Amino acid sequence: MIDVQLMGLLNATLQAATLLFIAALGELITEKSGILNLGVEGMISVGAVSGFITAINTESLFLAVIVGVLSASAFSSIHAFVTVVLKQDQTVSGLILTILGLSLSSLIGKPYVGKKLEVKLTSLIDIAEPSNIFQVLLNQNLIFYIAILLMIFTAYILKKTMFGRRIEAIGEDLKSADSMGLKIAKTQFIATCVGGAFAGLSGVYLTLSYVPYWTDGMTSGRGWIALALVIFGGWKPYRTAFGALLFGFLEALGPRLQTYGFEMSPYIVKITPYIITILVLVFLTIIKNGNTGAPKNIGIPFFRENR
Amino acid sequence: MSSPILEVKSVSKSFGNIKALDNVDFYLQKGVVHGLLGENGAGKSSLMNVLSGIYLPESGTIKIKNQNIHKMNPDIASSFGVGMVHQEFRLIESFTIKDNLTLSKANIFTDNFEEAYEKYSEIFTLNSSYLTPINELSVGEKQKVEIMKLIFKNSEIMLLDEPTAVLTPQETLQLKESLDQLSQEDDKTIVLITHKLKEIKDFTERIFVMKNGKMVAKNLETEKVTDQELIELMMGEVKTSNFKKDNKKGDVKLEVKDISLTNSEQFKSLDDISFTIQSGEILGVAGVSGNGQVELANVICGIEKEFQGRVLINSQDVSKKGVKSRKKLSLSYIPENRLGVGLAPGVSVLDNSAIKEYFKASYGPHLSKGKMLGYLNDLIKQFAIKAPDVKAEISTLSGGNMQKLLMGRELISNPEVIVAAQPTRGLDVSAVEAIHKLIINQRDKGSAVLLISEDLDELFKLSDRIIVLYEGRVVKEVGIDSATIETIGYAMAGIDE
Amino acid sequence: MNKYILSKKLYRNELATFYSFLIGFLIALAVGSLILFIQEKNPFDVFSLMLKLSIGSVNSLSNSLNKAIPLILAGLGISIINSVKLWNIGAEGQIFMGAIALNFVYINTSINNSQIYILLLLVSGFLGGAFCILFPAITKVLFGVNEIITTLLTNYIVFGLTIYLINGAWKDPASLNFPAAAYVNESVYLPTVLGKLSSGFLICILFTLIAYYIKDKSVFGYEMRIAGGSELTAIYAGISAKQKAFFAMLIGGGFAGLAGAIELLSQTHRVSTGISQGFGYTAIIVAAITGMRPIGIFLVGCLFGALTIGGSVIQTIGVSSYIAEIIQATTLFGALIAQFFFSYEILKKDEND
Ligand SMILES: Nc1ncnc2c1ncn2[C@@H]1O[C@H](COP(=O)(O)OP(=O)(O)OP(=O)(O)O)[C@@H](O)[C@H]1O
Ligand SMILES: [Mg+2]
Repeated sequence: MIDVQLMGLLNATLQAATLLFIAALGELITEKSGILNLGVEGMISVGAVSGFITAINTESLFLAVIVGVLSASAFSSIHAFVTVVLKQDQTVSGLILTILGLSLSSLIGKPYVGKKLEVKLTSLIDIAEPSNIFQVLLNQNLIFYIAILLMIFTAYILKKTMFGRRIEAIGEDLKSADSMGLKIAKTQFIATCVGGAFAGLSGVYLTLSYVPYWTDGMTSGRGWIALALVIFGGWKPYRTAFGALLFGFLEALGPRLQTYGFEMSPYIVKITPYIITILVLVFLTIIKNGNTGAPKNIGIPFFRENR
Repeated sequence: MSSPILEVKSVSKSFGNIKALDNVDFYLQKGVVHGLLGENGAGKSSLMNVLSGIYLPESGTIKIKNQNIHKMNPDIASSFGVGMVHQEFRLIESFTIKDNLTLSKANIFTDNFEEAYEKYSEIFTLNSSYLTPINELSVGEKQKVEIMKLIFKNSEIMLLDEPTAVLTPQETLQLKESLDQLSQEDDKTIVLITHKLKEIKDFTERIFVMKNGKMVAKNLETEKVTDQELIELMMGEVKTSNFKKDNKKGDVKLEVKDISLTNSEQFKSLDDISFTIQSGEILGVAGVSGNGQVELANVICGIEKEFQGRVLINSQDVSKKGVKSRKKLSLSYIPENRLGVGLAPGVSVLDNSAIKEYFKASYGPHLSKGKMLGYLNDLIKQFAIKAPDVKAEISTLSGGNMQKLLMGRELISNPEVIVAAQPTRGLDVSAVEAIHKLIINQRDKGSAVLLISEDLDELFKLSDRIIVLYEGRVVKEVGIDSATIETIGYAMAGIDE
Repeated sequence: MNKYILSKKLYRNELATFYSFLIGFLIALAVGSLILFIQEKNPFDVFSLMLKLSIGSVNSLSNSLNKAIPLILAGLGISIINSVKLWNIGAEGQIFMGAIALNFVYINTSINNSQIYILLLLVSGFLGGAFCILFPAITKVLFGVNEIITTLLTNYIVFGLTIYLINGAWKDPASLNFPAAAYVNESVYLPTVLGKLSSGFLICILFTLIAYYIKDKSVFGYEMRIAGGSELTAIYAGISAKQKAFFAMLIGGGFAGLAGAIELLSQTHRVSTGISQGFGYTAIIVAAITGMRPIGIFLVGCLFGALTIGGSVIQTIGVSSYIAEIIQATTLFGALIAQFFFSYEILKKDEND
């Protein structure tokens, strides 16, 4: 019996982690190029609602995923335009992207609140009560595997390819990258839209599999935890994945505490991930002496003729 | 003479109301090492930045290899074979040498990197593996990587903006040998900017000189010009002092004893400096920027705290005291970095005018705008500052008026000790004149003045004594009567007579 | 050479922020119209109805101004913190914390003089807000922990705490299907001054002036400006930038906490999840769009309060209330776009080669 419980916990951990991880990985790519996008929460929300609506109306999951990803990416291009092309403040723009994303998705999602999804992203192989780790892994749906591929792919691109090194070069040192002839505006624009696309994928995972329904504010701060995860992971894909598992575990553990004999108010359980996120962030900043490994030129608008 | 490989005609570039380049003509001969000389702010870096596609000029034309350039950016410049080593490093610190050498799209050694690295690291005597991150290299090694970057981009035209400023004499010598080898073997065209005349003499065949955004001398043959001619071209006609030097000197007001400062990289930016200044005396500090001037001023004024040695104001040891308590002992500091240290960017003229003594305009927590305004109006009147709108951001003032505001703010309270760093840098003639009068006036009121400047004209005009800083050391100290432009100029350029 | 050159302007029009706001608002109205159009509503009808129902009568106007109170107070707090170039994304949590602190003091004390009691409760609200940002403030100045993320995450913590309290220790048995704490006694309600307009609005005016005073007229505000302008200048002037940052954050948090207290004493009269409906987030827009100027925050806060009321009343004709939020956020985006043209110019080079 314990085993089944444990496997349930593991399963829930993987699901929660997938959701957080995809968004964090997208933000990681954006930030590597030197753009800070605080709009993750809004982008996830846009992806979630547009994917959900598409799934309801077309009953095509494939289409739903595509629409969710593309609409979040298109939405993030607002941030790219304002900060990269118009060189405006990235903090302000990102915050507003979150606010706009949440209200926009509430607006278009309103008629769909409470609707039931006829189709749902299914597991690779559906196993009702998985009893070992393999079965749990097989029990995940396609997006989980896509997330793993994206992780490997992103880590490889960033570390091992010219293309990735150039993205990182820009985020590290705009002026040096520019004098190397690298295309700053283009790279940052694309990296921001890729970040949006990833957030969108995380969003469709939320409404097509994790929850699966649509209601206002259902992203409940996951975009912000994803932002913290990027810091936690020191802007490295694998470490970010580890962080996502950790936070996913916390999220999954909460509702199960009682079954393990812990008496704790469910309301308090719900806020522990946020508390732990903050504590971890503080702890990390302290041990790294304020130097968390952020791209050095993150958040700085680039104008070539500036000194 | 064959047609030039690069030709610039009547290029102009302004930043706000500063004309960095004013109708500049410039040309380079293939395979020749050219020197570009000029005082700080003359426009040398701006011109190089135009050539490498960083700055877009408002007017003028550029022709490279007989082709008119219609669109410019760093990428296009590279494709025409123009490469630049910037005054500040353009290296990605956390990346390896290899990354820095190969990330540029113009890199030619994609397949045979290791071979090429071996060859050129030998030419440049760089003994590090290409997997070493830049931040583990010494300053000299970084400079070598910078120059190697150009070779890996296959730049035929190499623009080197003060590459030797950060090098030791031995490293400079090495650099010369490698550059010689390159210009002979690979027929590279090179522009070298440096403030050190000796290097210009040693390295170059042709010399261009800029002053105040204009090209004042073109294509001089290095072998045929004298140092004195160059110094005059760069610094203008050397005027004799207009101020009388019969000022009375009194007690010692500022004393600096055995000051040394070691930075994090174990580099000694100040090395055992001692001097005194009396009341009514101006001590001039000559030197090319980056030889310890900023550090010296910061030590005296309490901003830099981790130094060895002692600082005494009015015979009182203030070595351990903070900024505010030194100010209370009647010390004023006019920092070299006008906007960013002396004045806060993005903040109004009014606020900036009160930084020294804002607490005098306060009643408890209340800050009297009226008092501040009154004080600012005094400043504006007394120092003839043109400030169209005192509530506007400080950057709306011209450089000269910014400096007058800063000077006025620091001088109006009649301080006993004044540290002034580059007080006239980048200012036009009339503003310079006004600032000079202020300093002399202060001297006559009995202040002890430490005047840090790179402008020899200014130092001769104002100082009673001059010391020369070179690589953090005082390499020369002379009274004004026995000093000559040449001896000081030589010492600044690191030449022992 | 390149035909068009982008060049940074040295002088920025003094009224650039104001013009940008106007342009942004127009863009936002256009976007709002487009959305309404897609939803097959006549934008003109909707907007005129919004106008009528938000400022058309004393009652609706006072509703609008009541809504403006938390927006203004939280916005002022954000603007004070931004004097040292830091961000407070935690106003939402601070508003809740203000209400929680108020209720805590209310439960544990009893004072007969209701005026003094109200004053005490308001002060508790302020302190609650300050307490809420204490941890982010300490970790920011001591260790440099990213304050954007810590303040934001505290929102979720405080919201969770609120739910915990109103479902547990403070649960009002009388409130069956809507969990909430017990009502406070009518004697501590903030009186109304005109129609339904709460006297909280007067407090709001007072605090606008206080914020204006702190930012513009006090030594502290001056030191914050210098520290925010350039850390090197602060060092040069002997000002401790860290200390200024710490106190700025506490005061800013206090402003938002006060908003929560006023909301409780004048609108909800008890702790519930309705204490704030995203006011802390809208306040970020209000503060950013005015370039962090207190008087501007007051005016835009009133406008956005009206928009919020207008948004909620048009639900009756089947238009989503989110239109108002979208207009608010789009205004800021539009303003950012306009800002670009006030800070840069595009020079055209005459072709003569
Ligand atoms: N990006 C910029 N923004 C604003 N002003 C600039 C910029 N670049 C140069 N200037 C101004 O143009 C003038 C010329 O500067 P430049 O850097 O070309 O001088 P320089 O001859 O290289 O001096 P130095 O010997 O100190 O390096 C100076 O007044 C400088 O302040
Ligand atoms: Mg230069």
